Amino acid sequence: MVFNISHTTTYKYENGVSYCQNLATLKPKDFKGHSLLDYTLEISPKPADFSERIDFFGNTITHFSIGQLHDELKVTARSKVDRNFDLQFEDIDLSSRKIITVDLAKRLLRGIEPELIDARQYTLKSPLISEISTDIRAYAKVSFKPNRPLYDAALELMQRIYTDFDFVSGFTNISTPLQDVMNEKKGVCQDFAQIAIACVRAMGLPARYVSGYIETLPPPGKEKLVGTDASHAWFSVFIPTLGWFDFDPTNNQIPKNQHLIVAHGRDYYDVPPLKGIIYTTGKNDMDVAVDIRPADVNK
Amino acid sequence: MDTKEHTIFQNYFKDFNNYDELLNVNLSTKDDWKVLLTNLTKIGSKALTTKQADLDWLLSENGVTYNVYNDPKGLNRPWNLNIVPFIIHQKEWKTVEQGITQRAELLNLILKDLYGKRELLKQGILPPEVVYAHRGFLRACDNIQYKTAKQLLIYAADLARGPDGRMWVVNDRSQAPSGMGYALENRFSTSKILPELYSNINVIHPSVFFNDFNQLLFNAAPSNKDNPTVVILTPGPHNETFFEHSYLSSLLGYPLVKGNDLVVRNSKVWLKSLNGLRQVDVILRRVDDIFVDPLELREDSYLGVAGLLEAVRMQNVTVVNPIGSGVLENPGLIPFMKNICKYFLNEDLILPQIASWWCGQEKERHYVINNMKSFVVKRIDRLHRESLFFCEFLSEQELKTLKLKILANPYQYVAQEKIYFSTAPNFVNGALEPRKIVSRTFAIAKNDSYSVMPGGLVRVAAEREKLIVSNQRGGTSKDFWIISDDDQHNIQLYAWNKTISNYTSNINDVPSYTAENLFWSGRYLGRTMLTARYLRMVLNQMANVQYNIRKSESESLTLLFKSITAITSTYPGFIEDEDTLKQPLKEIQNLVLDDTRIGSFAQTLMSFNNSYYSLRNLWSKDMWRVSDDIQRLWSNLKDDEQYTVQSLIKFFDKIITRLIAFMALTEESILVKQGLLLYFIGLQLEQATITISKFRALIIVKHDEELEYEILEALLASHESLNIYRYSYQSYLSIENVINLLLLDKDYARSLTYQIHRLKKDIDQLPNNTSNLGRSASQKQISLALQKIENIDLNFLLKVDQASNMYLNLEKLLADLSELLFDISSSIANTYFNHSYQQKQLVNRKASN
Repeated sequence: MVFNISHTTTYKYENGVSYCQNLATLKPKDFKGHSLLDYTLEISPKPADFSERIDFFGNTITHFSIGQLHDELKVTARSKVDRNFDLQFEDIDLSSRKIITVDLAKRLLRGIEPELIDARQYTLKSPLISEISTDIRAYAKVSFKPNRPLYDAALELMQRIYTDFDFVSGFTNISTPLQDVMNEKKGVCQDFAQIAIACVRAMGLPARYVSGYIETLPPPGKEKLVGTDASHAWFSVFIPTLGWFDFDPTNNQIPKNQHLIVAHGRDYYDVPPLKGIIYTTGKNDMDVAVDIRPADVNK
Repeated sequence: MDTKEHTIFQNYFKDFNNYDELLNVNLSTKDDWKVLLTNLTKIGSKALTTKQADLDWLLSENGVTYNVYNDPKGLNRPWNLNIVPFIIHQKEWKTVEQGITQRAELLNLILKDLYGKRELLKQGILPPEVVYAHRGFLRACDNIQYKTAKQLLIYAADLARGPDGRMWVVNDRSQAPSGMGYALENRFSTSKILPELYSNINVIHPSVFFNDFNQLLFNAAPSNKDNPTVVILTPGPHNETFFEHSYLSSLLGYPLVKGNDLVVRNSKVWLKSLNGLRQVDVILRRVDDIFVDPLELREDSYLGVAGLLEAVRMQNVTVVNPIGSGVLENPGLIPFMKNICKYFLNEDLILPQIASWWCGQEKERHYVINNMKSFVVKRIDRLHRESLFFCEFLSEQELKTLKLKILANPYQYVAQEKIYFSTAPNFVNGALEPRKIVSRTFAIAKNDSYSVMPGGLVRVAAEREKLIVSNQRGGTSKDFWIISDDDQHNIQLYAWNKTISNYTSNINDVPSYTAENLFWSGRYLGRTMLTARYLRMVLNQMANVQYNIRKSESESLTLLFKSITAITSTYPGFIEDEDTLKQPLKEIQNLVLDDTRIGSFAQTLMSFNNSYYSLRNLWSKDMWRVSDDIQRLWSNLKDDEQYTVQSLIKFFDKIITRLIAFMALTEESILVKQGLLLYFIGLQLEQATITISKFRALIIVKHDEELEYEILEALLASHESLNIYRYSYQSYLSIENVINLLLLDKDYARSLTYQIHRLKKDIDQLPNNTSNLGRSASQKQISLALQKIENIDLNFLLKVDQASNMYLNLEKLLADLSELLFDISSSIANTYFNHSYQQKQLVNRKASN
């Protein structure tokens, strides 16, 4: 299935900005089963310099700066992605997911194959998941029984978070500690993804953060509005010998063809869609509009 | 020599149970120390005590300080240097030198590998968690390519002698190691105070090393190799080793800058100078890794430069040491160093390391947990100065907590064997005593290898039995001698090759940070001085009135009290709070002492100190002495138990003299092209502004003749202008003459017209103001001010408005001028300091589906 994605971030500055430097992580991934057909990044005002690089996690990072005084910054990423979940896993024997138990996974992780060495860093603390409390550990333990297949344990964790946590937007912000989310059982996709990651790591297993988009469908019979989608996040668990498997606790869903992936990281800290340092005397405010729709509909 | 006979040894043997540098087990002295001991005994205990005092004095004179964060004693704790040096013979040093070179090279290869191919992890030589769990491993630095042959450019090793008599590596320092400057200053100081100590000993000088260091910075430039701009980046005057930053800046001749003096444009780093931007090629940084770039690293850091990492990535600037090198400050590497050394160099480690157990490994972890008491436990990354755990001293409860911590995050901990460092003689209370020591020495990249400093910085435990040796916790230092059997040329060559030293040659290149500090130094010094004089004048009036109760005098006194509040803007003060007039001394005392009150003398003095201290690298030694004196006077005053009019007058008399000395020294120690112009502008602006405030507070309302006389006298006294007045007019005090002298006189340095004239002359000399491109804002404003005051008619000014009984024309002129002066200050700040825009982070919102 081919999707057109547009993701616009608008910053309005109270007193104007004389100079800004930004990092954008907006370019979708390109891998088997998830082909990036087209991608453009429009920046207004026109940047003074602009460069792209692949970061430590394999994400594409765009660095740009604007040297003229401006009151508004508008960044629009337009991408076209061909998503085919079955193609992604065609060479992998998914039935062996049943064989690799939590315990076995832990033992297999001790190997020194490059994928394992890479995966092991996702068992460690990360900037936004720096303290894992005993309640998070206890919450995780319920699902991660030693002899249970790791995939099943992660699936159940996803379901439990979906059931136990309420989706409440505006309750948390970028600096809300993970423990507050755990205590109040409220938050948005980013919080649920990070809670799940903390749980998996509490068990000594690797989990990473996935930043991307999900196609949302309008209520039956209604026309889909433009810009109502948003950026999305979920988590991914590493199963030794098989690779990474994604879980979306916000929607209680295994991400397949409606989930489009932009970046992977240890947590949100590694992959914010847009961040920057500005020079100004006033406040700044942001607005985000995301639109995802099948390419053929949009022709 | 029989050591027992000499009084300076009397306590040396008490509880002697360590490896000692000086004595063998049979208590005979070691050969390498014999000559030094002879020299010490020749000088004698009494003379040594005097010399030690001289040394302390010299260091404090030279302003050698070490700041301890959160120190109740405040900034600038004096640096302690013990008069007895530490000695290692060249023959032994050679092995140490080889060991340090090997370790520097090894760490260099590790650094390249960890931010490159990570073969060490792939080959299973190093467990990935040793790197990935270390907060100093910065993923943003992955795969950056460097043009320098070595990636690790400066390395410092902390060495201590183990029980086996060999020198061991205790710590690796790889980010921004401090101590080089202190080591050099220690050498200069001991050789100056006690040349006798060196007789018949060949001490190797570190001049070659410092030349190599300078060459390294110069050669590190990625481009512009013939004439690179090198800067030293400091976190600022509050940093513990700020002395050293400014010391190196003076020694090497490179400007000392803070993060907001630099800016990244088009992925190049630029130094903001008075004349605009100048490209920077090399940054010697004393700011820790994570603070250097708020765009990619710590977002809330104001110590760095946004975009620096991208400039490094584009190879437009070299940062020494490279960002990310903090991952090498990692005791988790120790257990694997042997194999890493085999892997990279196919050699054995030359220098032994402290036996260490990384808790990330199961077997090691069990061993540590079961034998906790015998270990010193550390985090692999001590980014925030977390403490070490000396387990033998922990309570059962503390041990339990530590165990839980280790079990929760085993990768983050290392346990080390507790070792007994050797002791060396320290001169304490007239005799020698053994003290544990750790020495830090430095290696810098040179061609294909490293150049090692002969000697280094020796730190001594504060007390006899202390295990921790660190300046952060107090303690003292020693000069470190590498001695040779061969004669050494005693030439101390620190005049750099002239092709290298080519920095600041004119006012255009003055960094805007320096310029800004000079400007504010001028303003604050002016304000401190004039506030002091004004308060002294009022105190003198108070003293007079105590003996002489004329009505007009008490009336004039009330007026003067109120004028203090107006001039210092310390409302409510005497103006809005009538009660204070009943106890004027109380309010004045508060104005003198309360440093939290904006406008108070204390607060002004503090601001003056802060802006001056930031300019430390420009100071002469005399300035340091006077500044020290001011500090002493100030703390003595604060310690007083009771304040009287007389005691405050006495204080002001003293401090005013010192401030004048400081002013004169500033003017003769710093060159106009180094930025003194900005100091003058600041000073004149302040003086002019306060002159205006005084007139507005005292003169605008017309008083009766008797009161007017007293007020005029007070005004002249506060302006230190009574004598000049009498000389010039030889008459009764009149308002006409006072206005003529203090406002309109073109030749009198304390008159407003003169000050404005002087300001115009200085402002015209600022960069970009000399061209024909049209006048700058500040030029227009000062010309207008000059025009206003030069074209004024005295009779017009003296016209009294009948309705209000005020000199309204005078008030109008002064108000206009005051506003212009304020605008000039803002124009200069906006044009030249360019710090008016604050660095901020973009707000961010969560992914919200």
